[in-house]
Amino acid sequence: MTHPNQSILALYAGRDLGWFTRRRTERHLSRCRECRDELQAFAAARDNLVALGDLPAISWNRLAIEMKANIRLGLAAGECVGAARPANRFAPFAMLSNARALAACASVMALVTAGLVLQRPTPIAPPAMARQGSVLRATANGIELNQDGQTLSLLQPRSHDVAYSAGAQGSMQAGYVDSDTGNVTINNLYVQ
Amino acid sequence: MSSKFAILFVAAATALCAQETPPNNSVKINLPQDSPLTLISTDLGDSHVSQRGSAVVLDLDVALTLHNSSPNRVRGVTLLVAAQEVTPGGKASVSVPSLDVAPNQNFPVRINLRLLRPAQMGGGPLVQVNLDGVLFQDYSFYGPNRLDSRRTMTAWEMEAQRDRKYFKSVLAARGMEGLKQVMLESLNRQAERPRLDVQVSRGRAVTSAAVGDHSARFAFLRFPGEPVEPVEGWAEIAGNEARNPRIDVRNVSSKQVRSVEIDWIVTDRQGKQYVAGSVPASGPEFNLKAGATSRVLQDTALRLSRLPNDGGAPLSIAGMTGFVGQVEFADGKVWIPNRESLANAQLLGILEASPEEQRLMDLYRKKGPKALADELGKF
Repeated sequence: MTHPNQSILALYAGRDLGWFTRRRTERHLSRCRECRDELQAFAAARDNLVALGDLPAISWNRLAIEMKANIRLGLAAGECVGAARPANRFAPFAMLSNARALAACASVMALVTAGLVLQRPTPIAPPAMARQGSVLRATANGIELNQDGQTLSLLQPRSHDVAYSAGAQGSMQAGYVDSDTGNVTINNLYVQ
Repeated sequence: MSSKFAILFVAAATALCAQETPPNNSVKINLPQDSPLTLISTDLGDSHVSQRGSAVVLDLDVALTLHNSSPNRVRGVTLLVAAQEVTPGGKASVSVPSLDVAPNQNFPVRINLRLLRPAQMGGGPLVQVNLDGVLFQDYSFYGPNRLDSRRTMTAWEMEAQRDRKYFKSVLAARGMEGLKQVMLESLNRQAERPRLDVQVSRGRAVTSAAVGDHSARFAFLRFPGEPVEPVEGWAEIAGNEARNPRIDVRNVSSKQVRSVEIDWIVTDRQGKQYVAGSVPASGPEFNLKAGATSRVLQDTALRLSRLPNDGGAPLSIAGMTGFVGQVEFADGKVWIPNRESLANAQLLGILEASPEEQRLMDLYRKKGPKALADELGKF
């Protein structure tokens, strides 16, 4: 004899079976004591469930809203985590890509600068001192007045032994013997 | 290898082609109508103009031939060189002291000058050369004297007379060997003279650092017979920078003084002494009557460093010494310390040689003691 399974017995206890299955189950129950006992157990459980209906009222709508909110929060968190992962996974490649771009830009700039320098040499950069006003100094070739980036120099190209002296009134002096003429020449630069 | 030479040749040729001869009107020589000197010729020699980026470099190698059309022997000339368009606040001068140009003689003056200026500037002469003064054998003077060249040339001439007198006395007392010996001593002194790299900045501090800024007091050397005495003086010291020297001086002579120049020596931490410069005072505002006291004051900063071949390090200033190097009286006469005073103060090894001593040393080095003795015998 084939017994009906537990699901059918549970549905029968709740009167939730279709007509044909219910009749066939009734015929079996009339001949099988074991299944009748099991049906009684399902019926007792069902009575217990009805008793649970006396529990305090639950706001199902509120519960549904909270659950939806939790679900949305979970989805949002999942999106955040999902977005961060690819960035982390590809970060070294992105840095490498940036470095390559920088190197490419630097190369282009160097090429352009070299071209400009070779085509047209940059002027002598005025010393930092020049930006502070007028400065007098002795150089390897002579004495020099630098004023706002423009330069006035007095040179002594044919002499090696040059005596330099500074004047606190704002002057610089270079004295030397001109090897061509044999005369002493004293160059002076003054700044006002 | 040949391709390298070819490249070098092409580069050199290109560089040469980039240089141009400056136009003749780039330099203008102005001599007054009544000038005792006449311009015979102007030779621009190796002068050239070259482009450096957006700037123009003008290298002027000007050889002037001047003629002494006065009845007096010329002892010195100062030319005022102005490039106002390039450096409006600056000017230059070229002086030739220790001359002995007879009337109707020609003599050369060379001006080697370099200008770095923007390319887009107006036309006209870039450099104007004017006569600032001529000093004659009798100390008479001609010229507008805008650069106070009367005083400086008179002082150079007095130093020349002082040093010639010294070498002539040695020659007379000790003969040619004695002259050779003192000349070698002079050459050694100048070769071993401690030198500094000095930068001058006018009106404001060269550096902004005020750390360690303090006022330092001058110690003074006194010479017998000096007409002006230094009383006291200070300068502001910050590291290797000395600023705003101010020195009180008293006229102890019976004559009115028109200008004073104090020579300024600095001492480093090791006790080595160097000439830093000079502190002059002149002009209408400085008028020192007999017995009066006045202040020599300059709004300047000197930055002192060792020479590049000595490491180029900034000099740590440990002390300052001053002495009166020049006094000009109201009548135009000039006082300078005598050689004995300088020797006694052990200043000969610190100070630079006078222009005339430089010339005599050069003559001795190139032509020997006989030529030097002949030169000393001329005047």
